[in-house]
Amino acid sequence: MKVALLDYGVGNLHSLVKALELGGADVCIEADAERALRADALVLPGVGAFGAAANRVGPAADSIRAALEGGLPCLGICLGMQLLFESSEEGEGRGIGMFNGTVVRLSGRRVPHMGWNQVESSRDPLFVGSENLIAYYAHSFVAPPAANADAIAWTEYEGTRFPAAVLRNRTWGVQFHPEKSDVAGVRLVQNFLREAGQ
Amino acid sequence: MLCKRLIVCLDVRDGRVVKGVSFEGLRDVGDPVELAARYQREGADEIVFLDISASTEARRTLLDVVKRTAEQLFIPLTVGGGITELADIDAALRAGADKVSLNTAAVRRPEVVAQAAERFGTQCVVASIDARVERTLAETFAGSGAAQLQHEQSRSDVWYRVFTHGGRNATELDAVAWAMKCVSLGAGEVLVTSIDQDGQRNGYDLELTGRVAESVSVPVIASGGAGSAEHVIDAFRLAGADAALVAGMFHDGTYTVSHVKQRMARADIPVRLAGVFS
Repeated sequence: MKVALLDYGVGNLHSLVKALELGGADVCIEADAERALRADALVLPGVGAFGAAANRVGPAADSIRAALEGGLPCLGICLGMQLLFESSEEGEGRGIGMFNGTVVRLSGRRVPHMGWNQVESSRDPLFVGSENLIAYYAHSFVAPPAANADAIAWTEYEGTRFPAAVLRNRTWGVQFHPEKSDVAGVRLVQNFLREAGQ
Repeated sequence: MLCKRLIVCLDVRDGRVVKGVSFEGLRDVGDPVELAARYQREGADEIVFLDISASTEARRTLLDVVKRTAEQLFIPLTVGGGITELADIDAALRAGADKVSLNTAAVRRPEVVAQAAERFGTQCVVASIDARVERTLAETFAGSGAAQLQHEQSRSDVWYRVFTHGGRNATELDAVAWAMKCVSLGAGEVLVTSIDQDGQRNGYDLELTGRVAESVSVPVIASGGAGSAEHVIDAFRLAGADAALVAGMFHDGTYTVSHVKQRMARADIPVRLAGVFS
């Protein structure tokens, strides 16, 4: 399966590429969003800031949303998940709008929320084999969908419960970094590839 | 619940992991790529490569090491040592680092912290602070007083001076104030190393760690002095650290990562046990 990894121009994509390749994917790193849509599945990585990434993705937002509405499998990670929403308090620009809602600043004594935290178990196929997932988080913003049913997993940090994962059609967003969450995280990436291939 | 992190630090010089006390008598410990993978299997929550190479050429070697490590590491990797400008940060991240730690560069040009946070995100930027205890005159001359009085004074009358260049150069900065400044500039974590305790194996400087942890609004990593599981547990319990950085005690095989984590779990500290993942 050909998987396009959208590159917003900053950060480390190595572990994510490797995790996808371990799952048998043929990965291409693509800076051009329109071209990325020609792949069998799209992955939005989780590095950088919302404003800069929205700047890159924004012009293609409508075509990306149309492709996702049409059934193109997609996995958005951390910032990549947030880009699937309409807008963010973090920066200017519009997101893809696959999920209704605005990305908001996480409240807590210590922000960013950095480190390994429990994901409340989910029955979604994405989490098969990772039911008691402790995942690696590194973020200051969270993405609550306007439609509560879009959230398929939750995590709690300093009294705030926020969506660990969202799903609509065949588009998943995860707030944590599966490619940094050890064996269980890599398994989750492979689950995505399996679901995308069906 | 958020787990307390156990971070393994590898000192890398000319592409090899080395170990020594105060940079003296460096001994080859092994290949960084292999060691990082081994610590990941044992359950390390993160890996830090601290580049102690002397030359620019050797630093390029490190980027190659980072690249080869990132291809098989599925836990976060931080690179520190010798990073002076944005281009260095960009190169480290592109090579496969998830975060960079800034020490001397931050003191010399604090705006680098702000620029890095804006461009790469605060979660990428670790402010690394090396500090040494300083006693005020009041405490120095309190020796004849009652022991209790002396104890109380020792808490209030010490401060911590920031050093740069691997602990060689003294600054006029107070470690707690400097940590707060780094966070206001955009650092997403503070790594605080006690030069006094470093390599001593008799525990972290809990006073230093605690003071920083209660003063900043980002996660704090205790560093310098760990020699046993108890020391790690104390950093979490008594000093309020969010993560503990450990180096030497794992390299020589005295303890394993999983041993320390099991001890943490028994002490009711929230921890990610590698067994959960098998």
